[in-house]
Amino acid sequence: MSDFLQYLISGLAVGCGFALLGSGLVTIHRVTRVVNFAQGMFAVVAGLTAGSLLSAGLPHGVAEVAAVLVAGATGLLVGIVAIGRRGTGPQSALIVTLGIGFLAYAGEILIWGEDPHSFAGLGGAVEIGGAHLQKQYFLVIGAAALGFTALGLFFTRSYLGKALGACASNPYAARAVGIDVTRMGLVAFTLGGMLGGVAGVLVTPLQSVSYHSDVLLITNGFAAAILGGLVRLGPALVGGLALGVAESMVAGYYEASYQSVVALALMLAVMVWRARRHTALYEEAT
Amino acid sequence: MNHPVREGEMKQVTLRPATATTPAPGPGLAARLRRPRVLAVLVVSVVALLLPQLLAGSDVAVYVTLLLSAIVVTGLSMLMGYAGQVSLGHAAFYLIGAYTAALSATHDIPTWLGLAAAPLTAAVIAALIGIPLLKLRGHQLAFATLAMQLILLNIVGQNEWAGGDIGLQGVPRLTVAGYEFASTSSYAYLALGALALVVLVARNVIASRPGRGLRALATSEVAAESAGVPVVAYKLAVFSLSAGFAGLAGGIYAFYTGYVAPGSFPVLLSFEFVVMAVIGGLGTIWGALVGAAAITLLLQQLNELGTAEGMPGYAPAVMSYAVYGVLLILVVLYLPRGLVPSAQGWWERRRAAKDGGGG
Amino acid sequence: MSLSPQGTAASADPLTAVIEVEDLVVRYGTATAVDQVSITVGAGEAVALVGPNGAGKSSLVDAVMGLLRPAAGSVRLHGRAALVPEGRQMFPDLDVEDNLRLGAWPLRSRGAAARDTSRVYEVLPDLAYIRRRKAGALSGGQQQMVAFGRALMADPDVLVVDELSLGLAPLITAALAEHLRELNTSRGLAVLLIEQNARLALDLCTRGYVLESGRIRTEGPSAQLADSAEVAAAYLGGAAEPSGAPDTEGDGE
Repeated sequence: MSDFLQYLISGLAVGCGFALLGSGLVTIHRVTRVVNFAQGMFAVVAGLTAGSLLSAGLPHGVAEVAAVLVAGATGLLVGIVAIGRRGTGPQSALIVTLGIGFLAYAGEILIWGEDPHSFAGLGGAVEIGGAHLQKQYFLVIGAAALGFTALGLFFTRSYLGKALGACASNPYAARAVGIDVTRMGLVAFTLGGMLGGVAGVLVTPLQSVSYHSDVLLITNGFAAAILGGLVRLGPALVGGLALGVAESMVAGYYEASYQSVVALALMLAVMVWRARRHTALYEEAT
Repeated sequence: MNHPVREGEMKQVTLRPATATTPAPGPGLAARLRRPRVLAVLVVSVVALLLPQLLAGSDVAVYVTLLLSAIVVTGLSMLMGYAGQVSLGHAAFYLIGAYTAALSATHDIPTWLGLAAAPLTAAVIAALIGIPLLKLRGHQLAFATLAMQLILLNIVGQNEWAGGDIGLQGVPRLTVAGYEFASTSSYAYLALGALALVVLVARNVIASRPGRGLRALATSEVAAESAGVPVVAYKLAVFSLSAGFAGLAGGIYAFYTGYVAPGSFPVLLSFEFVVMAVIGGLGTIWGALVGAAAITLLLQQLNELGTAEGMPGYAPAVMSYAVYGVLLILVVLYLPRGLVPSAQGWWERRRAAKDGGGG
Repeated sequence: MSLSPQGTAASADPLTAVIEVEDLVVRYGTATAVDQVSITVGAGEAVALVGPNGAGKSSLVDAVMGLLRPAAGSVRLHGRAALVPEGRQMFPDLDVEDNLRLGAWPLRSRGAAARDTSRVYEVLPDLAYIRRRKAGALSGGQQQMVAFGRALMADPDVLVVDELSLGLAPLITAALAEHLRELNTSRGLAVLLIEQNARLALDLCTRGYVLESGRIRTEGPSAQLADSAEVAAAYLGGAAEPSGAPDTEGDGE
């Protein structure tokens, strides 16, 4: 029982990271139709930046927020390259973001080297029901919950959030009322960068990151996002948490090395299952 | 010699319907149109055959790498350009071919049989996983193929029979009918032969009726389907064929290096293949060859530069990643058709302008 | 070409024009959708642009609204133009209130006051009753009214209406047309009405242009256009009938 609780909480914490990454993907995809392959990179950049800022003497909190802002700025840059040029289709933009991922590798190795880095999060642990639980887990879960609430309020309550949603649901109408859809796409990229950044600063204390952590991060984030068809945030949240818990359970009860296989197989199953319900016509129309 | 010339004609028909539908005024003009293409094929073939003799030892090794990449990229370019499917996991089939060859050779199966089994295994596995996977499109298929490779890497790395993370050592040299492929240049010729085979197969597929159906598929699946193209079967066939090409390259790779390990087939290798295919120009054989050659040579130059004295240890990695990134972005944004089709277009426009000015 | 080369009293004076389109050319690839079209809409004027399907009406609208880049020619707006787009183009998952508020996007620098929807409810009181309903769940007529309200939120000087009657039942169209007339006559809002239903458009507007294959075929006061045998034969479906309730080719909602 205590084992179960342990796996559950650590799984939820890691799953929050996936959910945040997935929601970043959804935010960008909804508005721009681009699947941003560089989404995992935002988390890597933020995690590594936070580590550097902390070792430079910045206090906790300030360093993390600064790192998230850096990730947001990175997101804006990615957006400018991916959709800034008139006539770049979503498929081309996917390849462009793949290219940006490569460029980011070069930059990350230059700044931080090739070895994985981590930084100390919230120290200490608590005993609940015989389970030894790091306090960082709860910090991650709490912060992610806060982040998701803020994101939800932004999209349902704020004028800018509604305008973003409008671009997603009817780009022509958005243009007709004078909304600059490309600019809103850049807003989405910035937001997506910040969401990836939040995931990065939260998860880095749990598992160290290096430049090529991005592939596993993006696949897990994508797996979470695909549950909501890349357009809905709620399922992305659920998907991320489920993925984190599933991986944690597999690692705990079975074999740690198979945890990513389970996640990937799950993602494949969801995609194939979803594809059975949609015709080619539907895909091309959207 | 007669046969390849006719092939050339057929290719022009599929690639440039506009010129093909205008009846040729006479054989003289048709011959003139064909000549640069035939000449190019001849020159490239002769140079390719001479290179193993002309190059220094370590350069031959680069040449082998280039040829193996070209084999994979020819298939990938067909898949992406004709069937319109993005695969971010093509190195998985390279891996399957290499492991098939290595496993059979280390289990005392004749090496030539192992080499033959490599593309077959890759093609069959691709056909099997393709049935569910090819229901997906666009970015979904891209991620699915990537996931497939990650799963495969994991499985191979975890299992004793595959040698785990260390891989399989001591793969014997390839022996066909008593001849042992021992030297690097013998593998260069082997790879060259394989590339020639792959190119011929690809050309035939492109020029065939199914090939024209595939062309329609890349633009709109719905339109192709309504025009009576058996979309699912064609997609599966191309996916399987391109996997077979990658498997063949993998098989040669296993005998050439003498060992296989999961670390030799990273996800990045799949991305590299995509970079080569996109930069050269999707859906063209020349594009695949040029893309593979350009990237391999560029990488080689960067590597030399990066490992030069006084360079920091991370220099090769940083430079190659930066160049990949910049090239990919620039080509997709500014030459979206790729180097070869763009160059062809430029050349034809220039010639048209000249003709217009003259006549 | 023109039925009244000198123009009439209703013809726009460039000094007070809100929309001036000069020698506009719109191309898609090699196809020319709009070919050297010049039109003007004066302040407070109601102008009809009629023509058959595929005449280039929607391309002209998109160019006027800055939604596409013309190949040649110029579009000058003196004041703000707001669009009631073809097909109504709702934000389906937002409610009516939010749809209206997004119409004020061009005024966002003026702050929250610009997003006050009450002035729209004054003009289109029916909307107030459905303000919390999702736009995607409304009937075609209701959506068209939301589209009007959304355009009004931008505080425009000219309303560009792309296909008022398309897909709506005759009674609904008549009611909307009445709203439009009211906005034009008592509030002085200029209107550029693009319609397939020429009779409806010419009935509402004082002046009109007939667009065919991307070119202006004739122009003049509505009465003249409606009486013109040429126009009648081409677009009004044979001999002119007394103008009454406009008929539509739509099948209601």
